Amino acid sequence: MVVVKVESLEKDYGTVKALRGISFSINEGEIFGLIGPNGAGKSTTLKILATLLTPTGGRAEVFGHDVVKDAPKVRELISYLPEEAGAYKNLTGMEYLEFMARLYSKSPEEALKMVDIGAKLSGLGERLHDKVSTYSKGMTRKLLLARALMVKPKLAILDEPASGLDIVNAYAIRKTIREFARNEGVTFLISSHNMLEVEFLCHRVALIDSGRIIDTGSPKELKERYGAENLEEVFMQAVGKGGDASG
Amino acid sequence: MGDFWIMAKKELKNLFRDKKLIFGLVVVPLILFPVMGRAISVGMEQAQGETRVAIVNFDSGQYGEVLIKTLRMSPNVTVDVVNASSLEEALQRAVAEKQNVLVVIPQDFSSRLEKNEKATVGIYGIFTTVGAGIKESISEGRINAVIEVLSQSIARIKVERLGAENPDAVLQPIATESRSVIKGRIVDVSPSVVSGVMASQSFSIPLIVFLMVMITAQMAAGAMASEKENKTLETLLTLPVPRTKIVGAKIFGTAVMGLVAAIAYMIGMNSYMGSFNFGSSGVTLADLGLKVTPYGMVLFVAAVFLTIVFSLSLAMLLAIFAEDVQSATTVVSAVIMPLAFPAFLLMYTDVSNMPAVFKYLMLATPFTHPIIDFRNLLMGNYLPVLLSVIYLGITAAGALYTTAWLFSTEKVLTAKISWGKRKRG
Ligand SMILES: Nc1ncnc2c1ncn2[C@@H]1O[C@H](COP(=O)(O)OP(=O)(O)O)[C@@H](O)[C@H]1O
Ligand SMILES: [Mg+2]
Repeated sequence: MVVVKVESLEKDYGTVKALRGISFSINEGEIFGLIGPNGAGKSTTLKILATLLTPTGGRAEVFGHDVVKDAPKVRELISYLPEEAGAYKNLTGMEYLEFMARLYSKSPEEALKMVDIGAKLSGLGERLHDKVSTYSKGMTRKLLLARALMVKPKLAILDEPASGLDIVNAYAIRKTIREFARNEGVTFLISSHNMLEVEFLCHRVALIDSGRIIDTGSPKELKERYGAENLEEVFMQAVGKGGDASG
Repeated sequence: MGDFWIMAKKELKNLFRDKKLIFGLVVVPLILFPVMGRAISVGMEQAQGETRVAIVNFDSGQYGEVLIKTLRMSPNVTVDVVNASSLEEALQRAVAEKQNVLVVIPQDFSSRLEKNEKATVGIYGIFTTVGAGIKESISEGRINAVIEVLSQSIARIKVERLGAENPDAVLQPIATESRSVIKGRIVDVSPSVVSGVMASQSFSIPLIVFLMVMITAQMAAGAMASEKENKTLETLLTLPVPRTKIVGAKIFGTAVMGLVAAIAYMIGMNSYMGSFNFGSSGVTLADLGLKVTPYGMVLFVAAVFLTIVFSLSLAMLLAIFAEDVQSATTVVSAVIMPLAFPAFLLMYTDVSNMPAVFKYLMLATPFTHPIIDFRNLLMGNYLPVLLSVIYLGITAAGALYTTAWLFSTEKVLTAKISWGKRKRG
């Protein structure tokens, strides 16, 4: 089943063309990676899918629902972790999870279960009872990832989930995502500029540069196609060939 | 619990745990105002308590002694007679003894009185520190009052000696009896007392409305902008909750906080104002026949509520364009302060006294309406109040609708104007 379908998506910010017509699709249960350098258009794509921005051209669907026309329906199916995000500083980590769980759950029992899962996923232990304002960057990111996953969305959209974190925290975040995907069968759309991270996590990736998708495939396929040792080399070669290497 | 209440609860938790906010909105008015009032009234009481007067008597006749006796018999006045041979010496003594006032009875005091000439008494207020000078001025007032009484009785005796039958009528041939006409009814209270009572209400209502509007507007803008500043907005906007409920919950949360602040300010102001109630006439608005009926109260509450909804919506609308809390508060002050200023003007004047252009400008500003409405209600004019509530309803709905609409577009994320700081690419 197709979870995400993106067709000739375009987005202009005033005169800046952030997306110049990209197309890709994601199947159920996949961890799909959107990889490319800073400014390539990854966040823009994810924000459109998360119903935050309206595309200038083309269309995007989540489980067959148009992200513009059926935005409320899409919001019920997804969970979005922004690239730069915070939590409410005056709440404790636990209160933040409770607040979010209540909005997604249909009963108090269900909310309790979600909070339970969230508390475990965050790995914050007793610190969950401290105010968010006392958290480090890594702790906040773990809390936010936990809140995004605990609701068991049909599609999780994570924008650079581990960027800007130290190795230990980044590793913990990647591990959480991989285990959660394996155990829960949630579909993921992840963006990253870290090629190694993507290789570790993703079943399939799309290489994006300057608002265009250059190539798509599993890390293995791509490496074979370009005769490269890792995705970093794949990307450099793909960009060097001007974007029509696959054609 | 519905989504709205979950959101509203979060807003309230976030606001009520903000120590800075609680301090400024609740602690300051509840503690600072009464303390300020107390401090001023303590000064007043001290000044009022006792007037110590130093007197130097250079008079060769007996009237100087009469004056001293009269002063001694007057309530709240303690008289210290200074023995001195010259004015300079007397002043030096008075300063040394830390007196507030020196009264000088001249040498020709009695002889002039006897010759039916005008006699003069010198009063010197002695300022040793740069204070409010309340003591000195009250002392002067008391001495003048005593001298006035003495002067009257001496005049009375003189007029009697001249053979007048009714000396009081000769001395004060015209008397006044003042009453006031309020709402077409004669009230046996002098206009100055009525105006005093009205002044206190015309001062406090605009002040409270002005404070309420400014405070809640700042809070609303802050609540919206802090979502951007703390990077919680993007997550918030992808939650499965209608945007109208998100905006509604924010307005609700701020309004509740505003209500708490308003109550704190009213209690604080009340005890601040209450400290000055010495010698008040004890006349209330109700005594003057100026009562607000339950129907009037409902209209007034509706007017205040709608004004606050307008102000909150406008503040949030402005905050949508601001990048951080600082920019939001700056722009809200810059826009709402001038809009709320006319309300402030109403402390000193009334719309009916203004030229037509000003009058309509004032009436176009929603913030003046609660004040004008309250005055109209006191005077029993219900129609203008009803019209005003309708006008406020339209402006509030317009502002609310515009904000909710902007909030449901991507402008809420892409509009990035920063005030007071340079924008960084
Ligand atoms: N709000 C915005 N206003 C104007 N230009 C923007 C805005 N957001 C992103 N851009 C531009 O759009 C392009 C794509 O940005 P983005 O999607 O954030 O890239 P990525 O996430 O891949 O780093 C960049 O050139 C960026 O400068
Ligand atoms: Mg990005």
